[in-house]
Amino acid sequence: MTARLQIEAVDVGYGHVGVLERVSLDIPAGAIVALVGSNGAGKSTLLRAVSGLLKPSRGRILLDGADIAGWRPDRIVDAGVLHVAEGRRLFRQQSVGDNLELGLYGSRLDRAGQTARYRLVFELFPILAERRQSRAGVLSGGQQQMLAIGQALMRDPRVLMLDEPSLGLAPIIVDQVLDVIVRLRAAGTTIVLVEQMVERALEIADYAYVLQNGRVAGHGPAAELATSDLVRNAYIGAGHG
Amino acid sequence: MDLDIIPSGLAAGSLYALVAVGFNILYRPTNVFNFAQGDLVMLGAMISASAIAAGLPWLAALLAAAALVGVIGLAENFLAVAPIVRRSSASHAWIISTLAYSLIIDNLVGHVWGPDPIRVDPPWPFSVTSFMIGGVRTSSYQLALIALTGLMILGIEQFYRTRAGRAVRAVAEDRDAALLRGIDPDRLSRWSFFLGAGFAAMTGLLASPTMYASTQLGPSLLVKGFEAAAVGGIGNNRGALVAGWILGLAEALGGSVLSPGYQAASTFALLLAILLIQPRGLFGQPEARSV
Ligand SMILES: Nc1ncnc2c1ncn2[C@@H]1O[C@H](COP(=O)(O)OP(=O)(O)O)[C@@H](O)[C@H]1O
Ligand SMILES: [Mg+2]
Repeated sequence: MTARLQIEAVDVGYGHVGVLERVSLDIPAGAIVALVGSNGAGKSTLLRAVSGLLKPSRGRILLDGADIAGWRPDRIVDAGVLHVAEGRRLFRQQSVGDNLELGLYGSRLDRAGQTARYRLVFELFPILAERRQSRAGVLSGGQQQMLAIGQALMRDPRVLMLDEPSLGLAPIIVDQVLDVIVRLRAAGTTIVLVEQMVERALEIADYAYVLQNGRVAGHGPAAELATSDLVRNAYIGAGHG
Repeated sequence: MDLDIIPSGLAAGSLYALVAVGFNILYRPTNVFNFAQGDLVMLGAMISASAIAAGLPWLAALLAAAALVGVIGLAENFLAVAPIVRRSSASHAWIISTLAYSLIIDNLVGHVWGPDPIRVDPPWPFSVTSFMIGGVRTSSYQLALIALTGLMILGIEQFYRTRAGRAVRAVAEDRDAALLRGIDPDRLSRWSFFLGAGFAAMTGLLASPTMYASTQLGPSLLVKGFEAAAVGGIGNNRGALVAGWILGLAEALGGSVLSPGYQAASTFALLLAILLIQPRGLFGQPEARSV
């Protein structure tokens, strides 16, 4: 079920404004790959291109060898690539249970398969089972993040892309979320993790890419990047200067 | 005052509620308020009235009109709405384009049918002949219309509890988030335009036995349906039903105690008063949209 994601020399922008230039990433099947870089480096833009919200003007995005660049988002979800966007985008007017149910939209799982997905999500995030009837909008930030991840997990992703899942969460909740990410890898899910908490991301990642001003400034095994200057320079070099 | 205003007010109010529900069906996934809705109602009335006059059974005329007008609604989405929403979901240019579409329909219908109203009898076994029940004058068609409207709105609300119905609400709340969950908003918009227009056509036929099928049906029902939708809370079908009934009763009451000149003004004042107290309508929820 696991899948490899290769991004090959993509250019992505908004209208006529280019953001990413010739960005290439290789994300091995079943690995956690961290994507780090300062604010405005283009991390979210890259995830939007993979999930089909933006169309690359150049380059290829290969999922197990098939080029998915320019596909409609629903088709990309069908192919097993799920994107948990920045800022916990949930359906706040609807209940926790309804949000999870919506996660199954378009799924071809039978009833038993669907029940198994609920069981998995409630096992990873027991609080969601307790709050099943609550409106998503009244949950705490941490619970909303769990629900956003849980919603994506309902579709049994082969590749799960998480955009700043720890943003604004209490440290103990961050631990819990990172712990779930590690467990998902153990189950074979390929993970792309965009994080501002760079040290924490590199702790659990296998490999990492540093994005700077819309380009890949460097990459390497996470353990090596954690001790190199590359990451620190990327944060000093852009955005904050 | 005369208690006859209760069934007649509720029956007229049911029609206003149905027009409002047609608005809501389109509004929910698109956030577009279709200004051609009244013309789709009128077109449905004209097509089905002609079909019935030509000898088609009621139900067949209803289905034919709903399908034809449904396709005209699909075309409206394709020509007047989708291109605008695709460019920017925040654009309000659809106000102009749906108004333009309504003028085109209006012109075409004027050419095809002319100004004369067409009489439509209610379907068997109902009749507009009045009878007395408990001292109140009503007709079997009035009672059937009120009951049918209530049932249809309950049925539609049940639909919004299904997975497809939830997806429609999800698109209304956050289009991009819906896209990321594999929901195709364009597909839902097409379905909503088809079904919303078909629903409008059915409303037109249901209005014909009491109001006649005529080119005048569009503008009057557009305004009343709009008022019911606004007072009930835009997007809220149960609210539309209650608001439609209030509106129908207020009109009937105004008609029985006031001179006709004050009737429209007095209902309008009542609706304004409700909206001043409840700006989002009787059942409107605050829209907590994340940007
Ligand atoms: N919707 C948008 N329209 C235009 N420009 C955008 C939009 N979103 C982001 N950008 C620009 O793209 C660049 C990269 O942004 P983003 O991908 O959000 O960075 P990151 O996620 O790394 O902080 C920034 O310069 C930002 O201003
Ligand atoms: Mg970002």
